[in-house]
Amino acid sequence: MRTLEPGQVIPEWSLPMTPTTIVSTAIATRDWQDVHHDRDIAQAAGSKDIFMNILTTNGLVERYVVDWAGHDAELKGIAIRLGAPAHPYDTLTFSGTVTSVDDGVATIDVVGRVSLGDHVTGTVRVAV
Amino acid sequence: MTEGPAGTARPVDQRHERIMAEAERIEALGEASESVAPYEVNQATIGTWLDAMGYDNERFRQGEAPPSMAQVWTMPGLGRRRPPEDPLSRMTEFLTDEGYTAVLGTNCEQSYERYVRVGELLRVTSALDSVAGPKRTAMGEGYFVTSRNTWYVDHPDGRSEKVATMLFRVLKFVPRERP
Repeated sequence: MRTLEPGQVIPEWSLPMTPTTIVSTAIATRDWQDVHHDRDIAQAAGSKDIFMNILTTNGLVERYVVDWAGHDAELKGIAIRLGAPAHPYDTLTFSGTVTSVDDGVATIDVVGRVSLGDHVTGTVRVAV
Repeated sequence: MTEGPAGTARPVDQRHERIMAEAERIEALGEASESVAPYEVNQATIGTWLDAMGYDNERFRQGEAPPSMAQVWTMPGLGRRRPPEDPLSRMTEFLTDEGYTAVLGTNCEQSYERYVRVGELLRVTSALDSVAGPKRTAMGEGYFVTSRNTWYVDHPDGRSEKVATMLFRVLKFVPRERP
């Protein structure tokens, strides 16, 4: 794992999303809610299309941070606030900054943006 | 007036008092429901998750599970439901009956004690952590309902080891009229 220091900026990562992205991750997280795989139902419920489930947002935040920090990084927690939905044919772009390193834990701020605004804002805690 | 579950009209006055009384009652039940993962932590499910996420981390092909998968192991599965006594379901159903029909996930805060391993069987408990409102939001007026999940691995000697926790918050709200 790399040495984490306050102020470090994680390079942006952009994920173009297709229906396959949304559906495969929903099913892989064992989330069978229909709004994550059935466009007719999602639209009837007022959404413009199917949208990413929360377990996947967590998984992508984990991946973004660990791919940068190092695959042996030990996560202590992920805390996220959910915002704009992530739909197919949009792009989800992550950015992040190490904000502090205290008592053996680094705190990393992460934002994931889509065209409608911030899809996710949150913090990831990593053991150092 | 709003329609109750059996078609009984519930007066809007004292609605807040009813909601907070129900919240207090459910909170006092503590870890009122639990469910055991339908399958042990397994490599096939981990591998499928890694592929879907496009995440190529060798560490998770060798017996450990990604930490944010904690919740995945205890998802009920297609056509299955959470236990009827689940505190979050009880509270959100109560709010639905009081007219707060729509729901939106707003916050999710997971903490990991350790990474779980292939072959371990997880058990999750659910408690109602707090209810706050009514609040005016961009979505409409509603209550924030926070539940607390705790994942355990039960050992042969009877010890229950906490491996992860999650605070999960939803907004239960009255949807705005669409123009």
